[in-house]
Amino acid sequence: MSRWAKFLIAVILGAAAGLFYGWVVNPVEYVDIAPESLRVDYKTDYVLMVAEAYQVDHNLGLAVRRLAQLGSSAPTDIAANALSYALQHEYVPEDLSLFQALGEALLTWNPNLEVPTP
Amino acid sequence: MKQERRGSWYLLTGAVLGIAMGLFYSWVISPVKYVDAPPYALRADFKEEYRALVAAAYLYRDDLVRAQDRLAQLKDDETAQRIAMQAQRALAEGRPVEEVKALGILAMALGQGVTPIASSIAPSQAKTFLPPTSAFTTTPLLIEPTASPSITLQTSSTPMITMDIPGSTSDFVATQTATPTPTPGAPFALQETRLVCNNDQPEPLIQVEILDAAGQPVPSVELVVTWDGGEDHFFTGLKPELGLGYADFVMTPPVVYSIHLADGGQAVNDLTAAECVSEDGSRYWGSWLLTFIQP
Repeated sequence: MSRWAKFLIAVILGAAAGLFYGWVVNPVEYVDIAPESLRVDYKTDYVLMVAEAYQVDHNLGLAVRRLAQLGSSAPTDIAANALSYALQHEYVPEDLSLFQALGEALLTWNPNLEVPTP
Repeated sequence: MKQERRGSWYLLTGAVLGIAMGLFYSWVISPVKYVDAPPYALRADFKEEYRALVAAAYLYRDDLVRAQDRLAQLKDDETAQRIAMQAQRALAEGRPVEEVKALGILAMALGQGVTPIASSIAPSQAKTFLPPTSAFTTTPLLIEPTASPSITLQTSSTPMITMDIPGSTSDFVATQTATPTPTPGAPFALQETRLVCNNDQPEPLIQVEILDAAGQPVPSVELVVTWDGGEDHFFTGLKPELGLGYADFVMTPPVVYSIHLADGGQAVNDLTAAECVSEDGSRYWGSWLLTFIQP
């Protein structure tokens, strides 16, 4: 085996060791994540909390700002995805109606009418 | 001869180069992505928003178990205390009163470990938690009351809004400007003034409890305490574990104080530290508990 071949094999083995260390042994840790990185069930519960809070304060702008923490998708899409997940996993009807109510309210939301938050 | 002296160092060089490439790829180019992260991995400020959201959602159904489950995902130590501290910070930072109320109500519910009777979306329907008088272990005996507090009507208000938490048991001291939200309605009237003797309370306090007409505690009420050559302001609700309508101020003997609500109403004058004696004859400072209620 030529010297270059052995060198190449050493590089490959080293890279494999580096990848193993970087991905498995000591991967990058995200300890300061944003809500958009939450697992889908946590995201759904987050949306459910927004829906519950909305039933108390009826503040659609606040609900939209809270939903915006879950990503750059449209608030209606976030609510729809949560409702879809809730339907698939057979959430109780009361929770489903909350998702539904929030989704319907979001359809009426006009960002141009939103009062800036100081 | 020359080639043999070089040995196998090229293999080590190749391995090191490979490891460097592998780490660069796995840490920089394509790091592990946490797309299914749990709430406890949230950044601190997002955790605070999460707690506030749990509290806001709790007001809807009064489901303490659900709120506890949600908060458990954050893996906090002393959840109730953390929520109470967040309520204090929120109040000091001028966050919306609804958020402060929600956090305070949840902190109280967590502290008591009970689920209040379900109410229909009414954040103001909080339980009233007076200071823990049940912890008083000795028979109070007032001695040396230098003066009985007198009551006068005072209608002036003080526009200055600064926060100070004298005698706060927590390590948080609010120094920021806050925007209290006064409760509309009739001015509060003094319902009761009594000396409270508590061996566990080493400092003499002016304790204030503010209740609305329905008997519910009222947070964010500004109180003004004055004495010869000094004045201070404090707010109800900064110690939600003692009730949203509770506030206290540490007295310095033998200074004589007057206290009134910033929005006017009855003033209580001639308040000064008074001593109590326990059954074994030892003396300690008592606290004045003033209860204001909206008629």
